[in-house]
Amino acid sequence: MSARTADAVVIGAGVLGAAAAFHLARAGHRVIVVDRGAPGREGSGTTAGNLHVQAVHTRRPGQEVPLDSARFLPLQRAASDRWEKVEAELDASVELRRSGGFTIAETPEQRAELIAKHAWEERAGIATEVLDGDGARAALPLLGPTVTAATWCPLDGYANPLLTTPAYLAAAVRHGAQVRPFSPVRAVERSGSGWRVTAGTDAPIETPRVLDVAGPWLGEIAALAGIRLAMTPVAIQMHVTVRLPETLRHLVQHIGEGLSVKQVTAGNLLVGGGWPARRFDPDGRSPISAASVLGNMAQAARVLPFVRELRLLRAWAGPLAATPDEMPVIGEVPGAPGFLVAGGTYAFTFAPLWGETLRCLAEGTAPPVDVHDLGPDRLITPVSFEEAR
Amino acid sequence: MTVSHDVLSHGVLSRDVLVVGGGPAGLSAAARLAAAGLTVAIADEQPELGGQYFRRPSPAVLRAHGDHRPEGGRLIARVRELGVDCLTGHLVWGVADDGRTLFATAPDGAAVRLRARHVIVATGAYERTHPFPGWQLPGVTTPGFAQHLAAADGTPVGRRVLVAGSGPFLLPVACSLLDAGAEVIGVAEAGHPYTPSLRATAALRHPARLRELAGYMARLARARVPIWQGRVVTGASGDDSVSAVTLAATADPSRPVGTFAVDAVCVGYGFRPQTELARLLGCEIRADAATGDAAPVTDAFGRTSRPGVYVVGEAAGIGGVHLARARGRLTAAHILAARGGGDRREIVRLAARTRALGRFTALGEALYPSPAALQDALVSALPDETVVCRCEAVTASDVRAAATDRAGGDLNAAKSWSRAGMGPCQGRFCGFAVAGLVRAARGGERGEPVFPARQPVRPVPVETLLALGEQEPEGDAA
Ligand SMILES: Cc1cc2nc3c(=O)[nH]c(=O)nc-3n(C[C@H](O)[C@H](O)[C@H](O)COP(=O)(O)OP(=O)(O)OC[C@H]3O[C@@H](n4cnc5c(N)ncnc54)[C@H](O)[C@@H]3O)c2cc1C
Ligand SMILES: Cc1cc2nc3c(=O)[nH]c(=O)nc-3n(C[C@H](O)[C@H](O)[C@H](O)COP(=O)(O)OP(=O)(O)OC[C@H]3O[C@@H](n4cnc5c(N)ncnc54)[C@H](O)[C@@H]3O)c2cc1C
Repeated sequence: MSARTADAVVIGAGVLGAAAAFHLARAGHRVIVVDRGAPGREGSGTTAGNLHVQAVHTRRPGQEVPLDSARFLPLQRAASDRWEKVEAELDASVELRRSGGFTIAETPEQRAELIAKHAWEERAGIATEVLDGDGARAALPLLGPTVTAATWCPLDGYANPLLTTPAYLAAAVRHGAQVRPFSPVRAVERSGSGWRVTAGTDAPIETPRVLDVAGPWLGEIAALAGIRLAMTPVAIQMHVTVRLPETLRHLVQHIGEGLSVKQVTAGNLLVGGGWPARRFDPDGRSPISAASVLGNMAQAARVLPFVRELRLLRAWAGPLAATPDEMPVIGEVPGAPGFLVAGGTYAFTFAPLWGETLRCLAEGTAPPVDVHDLGPDRLITPVSFEEAR
Repeated sequence: MTVSHDVLSHGVLSRDVLVVGGGPAGLSAAARLAAAGLTVAIADEQPELGGQYFRRPSPAVLRAHGDHRPEGGRLIARVRELGVDCLTGHLVWGVADDGRTLFATAPDGAAVRLRARHVIVATGAYERTHPFPGWQLPGVTTPGFAQHLAAADGTPVGRRVLVAGSGPFLLPVACSLLDAGAEVIGVAEAGHPYTPSLRATAALRHPARLRELAGYMARLARARVPIWQGRVVTGASGDDSVSAVTLAATADPSRPVGTFAVDAVCVGYGFRPQTELARLLGCEIRADAATGDAAPVTDAFGRTSRPGVYVVGEAAGIGGVHLARARGRLTAAHILAARGGGDRREIVRLAARTRALGRFTALGEALYPSPAALQDALVSALPDETVVCRCEAVTASDVRAAATDRAGGDLNAAKSWSRAGMGPCQGRFCGFAVAGLVRAARGGERGEPVFPARQPVRPVPVETLLALGEQEPEGDAA
């Protein structure tokens, strides 16, 4: 088989891979996107689809450290601005909605956190407003009596994930990108000054640049190239109720617990917050945890008592890759020129921004935001002597 | 019926045996096990035990016409006399993280955890429906619905009715409609099963079964109801409800061969095993190439890949009421034997009977077109603008586009992107057609036959979840 060539090979057709492929292809690069399955079925097909603009201070049950909000907020601001261009760039609706969101508190400590985060948000140029319990209930009468304070951010929003990844891929294809679904990457090797990627049954691809955006499998792909990254795949779950008339126009989150609630365009209420699935299944079939269903739904019904009256339609689990510091990872792997990785926390909110950033990093130009401290260097774990042999 | 509080301790019901599904299979297993002294609970989402075949007629019908299936009433009475806890109106919808405790919702919304050493899944089957233009019109029903209305309530679905689809089941439905006073204008069967050779092949070994079929044919002949073979329904029309139905040749469904004035039409292509609960329990399933369905992998005794979990009756494979009962009894006998009781001769006898009935089922199946072949024919003729998923209003072209453009022929991806199968029926009505459309998109190659099983198997009140969360008994954890 004769080798094929590309300017960049994107491994993983999730929202990050799709966005990166779009930006690269639009800039005239020849891009091949490969995925082991159908595109957009993993993290990007199971995500809640929230655009998190106010500080996400929530902790998933089991999460060890909170992310560094002061560092994260300027990036969230940039990501938020970047979403404004998406529908025009892609010439498609992704049901982008900026209906604002509340982050609520129930205890005095949580209230203090809201006030602290409000100060960071001001510094990052993100408008938020702190409300006391009654103020919050006046603004959103659906909130229950346990809510003692809330912040309101008009920029919080939602985009339909089932439209977003396909829209990015379709636009990338219009700009000449090739998409190869059902082509699992089997080998990533150095080849001259570039890389050789072998996927599915196709001939290997010679390319100067590899973008490893394989989500939960990011580490697995890096390992094929001999790179060890400390990333942990986890599976978390989502819950959806039957449809109801338009009731909740805003995103509701919790400052101290994993909880996010919103109503989607179709009318269903989506409840999430990072509760763990029963286990992560590398084959993409992580089973849900009933304990998480009960826990997450109980929270939702406590904060928003009208949820009690609804019926749960379905629950599902989706995988994501967690970094030890909960911060995203984006950048070139030191010592592996042309091998770029991107993934981690809130990749949906960041997809448009990271797509453009990855193009800049691949071209060697200045990215729209400073990401030098988010690179994979902090995640590299030494390869043991036995492994190196 | 709601379970009395002494039966439940903190919302947990623990028994030697839990049977999910109170149809012929579940009842037969429960009766045998309870008679041997085991503690047994049986849960069924319907308000009465009986399942599809032994569904109880309404009191008015009982008074006027008597019980059309008295053996069902006797079996239910026996199960109750034996002290089986009968949790009627209890939907079993999920599985706890221990992989064994089952969650149920009582009729008043109360939450119940069900635990047992032996779990017998006897959830039966649901009707195989296939969309066609006009299938959402009032007056278009499934044969099963028409049968229940006729047999249990004595009411026909319409005055002028066409019965269509495929399978032996269409004949008793047409007869019940006649009994209930309807005019049956015809029975349209997609295949060509009713030929003289039918008698020759099966009669020797299964005279009783054949007499049943012959009885229905004779009843239809007396009422001059024509049986059209090799015909499928390809359209229904009407203003507020169905007033006309179009038939086409199965071999060429794009070419109509006749249109009939009706005020009701019953269309169904047999049954699909209801396997969601078995799959949520972690039982291995396999795709059946002939039916295009998924069936749990079971051995002769109903054992699955999960120790202590059994699947019996039509949930394990379609085969009619006699096979369902025999499978239920055989599993019960096996459980007793495994506990050191029971009677070897009973097992041998039941195993032989199950095998014989299984052979008869296979013979019967061979007479009718395979659902997988029908799926191909029907899907190819399905117009783009036809609504396939009624819950989410998704058309055939939406599914086709999602399957080809983005899903690469992956059933679950096609579901995500088209929303087909995402509504409250969890894909029961559209699943067969969506699988067919996706299969066509992948050039006929077979993939996943059914959508993945998801909790809850039917929508559950959030109140039930809250109650379960408050009970928090020990032992749910993985
Ligand atoms: C339930 C859930 C809710 C979430 N909610 C939010 C939210 O509200 N807001 C937010 O901003 N973020 C949220 N996230 C996080 C974010 O949505 C996801 O992390 C993001 O979509 C991941 O995108 P990705 O492109 O990095 O990875 P993925 O979408 O997971 O894509 C990775 C791709 O790599 C492919 N792949 C794997 N192995 C190989 C191989 N060997 N060869 C080729 N391809 C391979 C996979 O098939 C997959 O398609 C959520 C995540 C989950 C799971
Ligand atoms: C209308 C009709 C007429 C028929 N006529 C004939 C005939 O003449 N001859 C013949 O041989 N066969 C006939 N059949 C087929 C026959 O009914 C079945 O073979 C038989 O009923 C199968 O028995 P079963 O116990 O496996 O399942 P079923 O009888 O289907 O019982 C399953 C039970 O499980 C319950 N259930 C399912 N899921 C859940 C859940 N999650 N939680 C709680 N409960 C649940 C259901 O409510 C149901 O009561 C007919 C079928 C129908 C629908």
